[in-house]
Amino acid sequence: MDYILSSLIFIPLLTVLLILLLPKQMEGAIKSVSLVATILQMVLSCWLFFNFNPTASATTDQGYQFVEKLNWISLNLQSLGHLQIQYFLGVDGISLSMVLLTGLMGVIGVVSSWTIKKNVKAYFALYLLLVASVMGCFLALDLFLFYLFFEFMLLPMYFLIGIWGGPRREYAAIKFFIYTLIGSLLILIVMIGLYTSVIDPAATAVNAGLATNASGATPAIVNQVQSALVSGTLASDKLVHTFSIPDMYQAKNFIPGSILHAFSNIQLWGYPVRLLAFLLLFIGFAIKLPVVPVHTWLPDAHVEAPTPISVLLASLLLKVGGYGLFRIVFPVFPEGAAYYAHLIGGIGVLSIIYGAMCALAMSDLKKLIAYSSVSHMGFVLIGLASLTVEGANGSMYQMFSHGLISGMLFIITGVIYDRSGSRMIQHFRGLAFTMPAFTVLVVIAFFASLGLPGFSGFIAELLVLLGTFASATVSGMLPRWMAIVATSGLLLGAAYYLWALQRMFFGKIWVHPEVQETPNMPDLTRREYLMLVPLAVLTLVFGLFPSLLLDKISPAINQLVQFILVAGK
Amino acid sequence: MNSLVLWALVVGVLPLFTFFILFLGGKKLPRRGDWLAITFTGISFLISLFLFLHIWQKEVVHVRFPWFELGGAGNQLVAFTSGIYLDNLSVLMLVIVTFISLLVQVFSVIYMHGDWRYHHYFAYLGLFTFSMLGIVLSDNLLLLFIFWELVGFSSYLLIGFWLEKDSATNASKKAFLFNRVGDIGFLFGIFVLYTFFGTFDLQILKDLVSGAIAQNNGFIFPNADGQTLSYTLLTLAGLGIFCGCVGKSAQFPLQVWLPDAMEGPTPVSSLIHAATMVAAGVYLLSRCFPFFTEDALLVIAIIGAVTALLGAIAACGQNDIKKILAFSTISQLGYMVMGMGVGAHDASLLHLVTHAFFKASLFLNAGIVIHAVHHAVAHYEADEFVDAQDIRNMGGLRKVLPLTFYAYIPATAALIGLPLFSGFLSKDAILSGAWAWAGYKSMGGNSLYYLIPVGGFSAVLLTAYYMARHCFYIFFGKNRLEIKPADYRHTPTKEASWLLLVPVLLLALFSIAFFFSPNPFDAGSSWFFQGLSLKQLLGSTTGLTGNMVNHITEYLHASSFIHVLTGIISVGLALVGIFIAWRNYQKASLKTNEELFAGQTGVLKVAHQHFYLNNFFENIFIRPFLSFSQEVAIFDKDIIDRSVNAFGKMMVILAKVIGWIDRKLVDGLVNFIAWLAGLIGKSGRLMQNGKIQSYYIFSLFGLILLILYILAF
Repeated sequence: MDYILSSLIFIPLLTVLLILLLPKQMEGAIKSVSLVATILQMVLSCWLFFNFNPTASATTDQGYQFVEKLNWISLNLQSLGHLQIQYFLGVDGISLSMVLLTGLMGVIGVVSSWTIKKNVKAYFALYLLLVASVMGCFLALDLFLFYLFFEFMLLPMYFLIGIWGGPRREYAAIKFFIYTLIGSLLILIVMIGLYTSVIDPAATAVNAGLATNASGATPAIVNQVQSALVSGTLASDKLVHTFSIPDMYQAKNFIPGSILHAFSNIQLWGYPVRLLAFLLLFIGFAIKLPVVPVHTWLPDAHVEAPTPISVLLASLLLKVGGYGLFRIVFPVFPEGAAYYAHLIGGIGVLSIIYGAMCALAMSDLKKLIAYSSVSHMGFVLIGLASLTVEGANGSMYQMFSHGLISGMLFIITGVIYDRSGSRMIQHFRGLAFTMPAFTVLVVIAFFASLGLPGFSGFIAELLVLLGTFASATVSGMLPRWMAIVATSGLLLGAAYYLWALQRMFFGKIWVHPEVQETPNMPDLTRREYLMLVPLAVLTLVFGLFPSLLLDKISPAINQLVQFILVAGK
Repeated sequence: MNSLVLWALVVGVLPLFTFFILFLGGKKLPRRGDWLAITFTGISFLISLFLFLHIWQKEVVHVRFPWFELGGAGNQLVAFTSGIYLDNLSVLMLVIVTFISLLVQVFSVIYMHGDWRYHHYFAYLGLFTFSMLGIVLSDNLLLLFIFWELVGFSSYLLIGFWLEKDSATNASKKAFLFNRVGDIGFLFGIFVLYTFFGTFDLQILKDLVSGAIAQNNGFIFPNADGQTLSYTLLTLAGLGIFCGCVGKSAQFPLQVWLPDAMEGPTPVSSLIHAATMVAAGVYLLSRCFPFFTEDALLVIAIIGAVTALLGAIAACGQNDIKKILAFSTISQLGYMVMGMGVGAHDASLLHLVTHAFFKASLFLNAGIVIHAVHHAVAHYEADEFVDAQDIRNMGGLRKVLPLTFYAYIPATAALIGLPLFSGFLSKDAILSGAWAWAGYKSMGGNSLYYLIPVGGFSAVLLTAYYMARHCFYIFFGKNRLEIKPADYRHTPTKEASWLLLVPVLLLALFSIAFFFSPNPFDAGSSWFFQGLSLKQLLGSTTGLTGNMVNHITEYLHASSFIHVLTGIISVGLALVGIFIAWRNYQKASLKTNEELFAGQTGVLKVAHQHFYLNNFFENIFIRPFLSFSQEVAIFDKDIIDRSVNAFGKMMVILAKVIGWIDRKLVDGLVNFIAWLAGLIGKSGRLMQNGKIQSYYIFSLFGLILLILYILAF
């Protein structure tokens, strides 16, 4: 199991090749191969989850497990130092739950894609490419590699929406593409800045002749390199510039006088450049999350995307944004996290309320759920911004939980759309009478999403709100009113879900005659059960036994919070 | 582990099993599994009795289990526990909840017979019972909140049980949302306590709060990093928790959901919206009593008194048999909350218990009456719709439903608070507590505090009035629809099935004071009071308001004068109320149907409309908010999204401009140079035309130029 992380990425990638080799007509084979590949990926990610040792730390190199580190690109740029790009994979408590989620939702997405008719071969090839790059994002510890995967998600997503989407698919696809591209450009700028500023002390030691190889660089040698860096005794051509994210966490690895050095006095437009870098990165990932006001790509992308792609978009792609905050933005620029806590918390609260209010006004069920995602991602933001143990854990829990629940919700809209070709709330009444089993699952999904205790969303939102409220006392990041306003998001969430539930599923059975001649619609098929029931069970399990996840992830998250608090002050 | 805890777990879990079994497979079971639900609840009840006998006045059992932790190396461990707490109060509640749940389920066998979701109904009742037992058994606020929400969820399912009825699904939605409003406050309270004490555990919180050291205008708590919790914030936390109670126990101003909740099946109204769930708020107040500051208690008392009064007034204006009882429930819950607010903790809990029995009985009674009238109306040939729940369509039913009537009388008497019935004991205790409290508070010279007991006394009069009216209209006089008595009965010989009658009669039996106190005129001697006093429940620590409570208790102990006085006053008021109701009824019985059904005027109209509170919420909050949401969505689409698109368009325009520049200027320059080169080439080509004459002219021309050049220089 030495190469388990690579297998997680390369199983779907190689399957893409296999699919490309299969003839177009063998649709069944293509689907089966994709299913097998994702199941394999899921099994591996579950194995990884259960074999992960939670007592490791998040902010040191030693904390990552199942690490794979290979030199990928290494250039000697003479006086500019060495350029080093690594194939650097690893998991820790920050990425573990996301890897598990990707494994799970990958399979659900394939099952959901079973009814795709148009150009099956291309569809599944792109689908697996998407899954592989999302997985890559969660596993990469080298910023360059991360960025590669991050950008690579766009391509399959663009085509998946643009070809298999609804009527306005081109518009939605291009909007999604450009929005995300702008975000990633901002990330790119900071990435280059970081590259020029950060060295890999171990590789530098090798380069300077202090160690024979990178693994031979003991902490003492690393310290020696770092102090030599501070005193300026290291020649610039000996420095190994790196994209390694863990190296970026250490203020000591920043070259004195470099643009992003911790004591850098460089200012742009009157702002310290590090704070600007924080903002750029933050916006880059916030677009992905998304937060108000850069969220408008989401409803369009969701409405136009085919069901399985909506599922992946909501449950995985949004999480990449949140994950980026955890992995890169907050720990690399901890002082930014502290400086902009109010701003970030405020945006989070705004997203919660604004998203919920928009959801309340929607008449398209899919749009309603898309806006509810905006609202729920607000909790991720305030939880992390609170920089409390409860808040950050809740934030991560919310990402995981929302992954499961939003998957369910989008499958639900797909179920209705597949049968009737409509998603408008006012086109349906009393569906409970024609689809009773479906209604049960809808009730579960809606109540899970509105934070009913017993489901994972409750634990997540409770922890986030606890952390946010305690923040004023514990970490001094967010004022208390934010917690109180955010709590009212729970009321709004209940309002739009219950209202939709009542309008569509209760009352006398009726379907708008333009949609369908008779109001009867068949209940769930076996395939649909196969997607909805496991997700419902999982949200319940993670709602009742939060320790299943928290035991694995919370040590790393706690450490992250402590690290940011210490480094950010 | 203590075996009692295991038994307690069994009590709680059996109804959950009922839920799962019936929900998933109830359709296939014989009789759709109602026997299974009843058996399980019966077992739960028996075990509860067993627990009661072992715990009551004997021991307190508290077991904690770790639930989950936010742990990590080098960090303080944030541990979330779950646990079971068994003391006098919780075992008493266990018995009451399982007992009433059992009876209601037996009643439902007939009442819900033939419903296509019969098994779901019993499943939901199981879920409700489970969640309610969860509230009772929880040892910490978080767990309590979880079950609190689950109770709300099962209530949602049961109010909206008849999915096709829009009024029912509206009511269920309304109930859930109004409860959530309260729950947000509840969460706020939990947040404050958690932030400053780092725990949800009620026992630990109780000790920490009691150990508070008062500072200038705040408290310092020994175990909490020396942080100062301001008095205001602690008061607000208490009020936050109270908000949860305001939602669930239908206190002013959130009480509007409860009358609507009557859209659910009547047995559900009996169990959930009269006896148990709505009383959970009072239970919560009792559990959190040590955290309330004196100011918080004052607010609680005021809200309770206001609710008691408003509910009673509104009940006077109703004609629906269930709505009257619903408003009465609101009013009685107001009493309980007021009791908590004035520190009459034990009296309030006693009222919770007595009310649970007599109100459950009254609702089941109403169920039988509705059942019968419904049956009769089917025979009745009327041109227009006859409302089987309108008391004006009833009358003389005591002859048709004698046993029901006999069960109804003691329950009504208890509700009115007539001596020898249970309600007298508890109401009297609350009122005397309120009187003593007012005396204590107004020692500073402000006698406005007496408004609280005065409100309570006024509600006594009103209660007597509306219940007597209820009683006269339903059971006395002559039948206003002039239907043959036989038509009321499903079977010619019996008035109703024993499965309906036995629960009602049993519950009515417990409306008699003797069961609660050997001396039916004074609750002080009741075995309840011995077990439910604050000292019993809290031990040596009496919370933040210990002094006040002690003072009042001692004062009440010292003289029985207040007790006697409040007893006499309230009985007098009750008799006056009954008398007025009788007088009015006499007048009404002379009226024609048209006059009787004419709309109410004046105060009664306002009461009938519930003080237009629904309209208030609808017009002030809900509609404006919904249209504001619409505005936000439009803003999102027209401003934000459009500006994004405009940005995109601007980029396209910019690109076009650049494209034009590129084509016309940059490319144009290149083209120009090429054109210039071409031009030069072309002109050069002209010379190479192969004609000897032109070559001669060119060379001549060149020679002349050369000569001119030489001459010039």
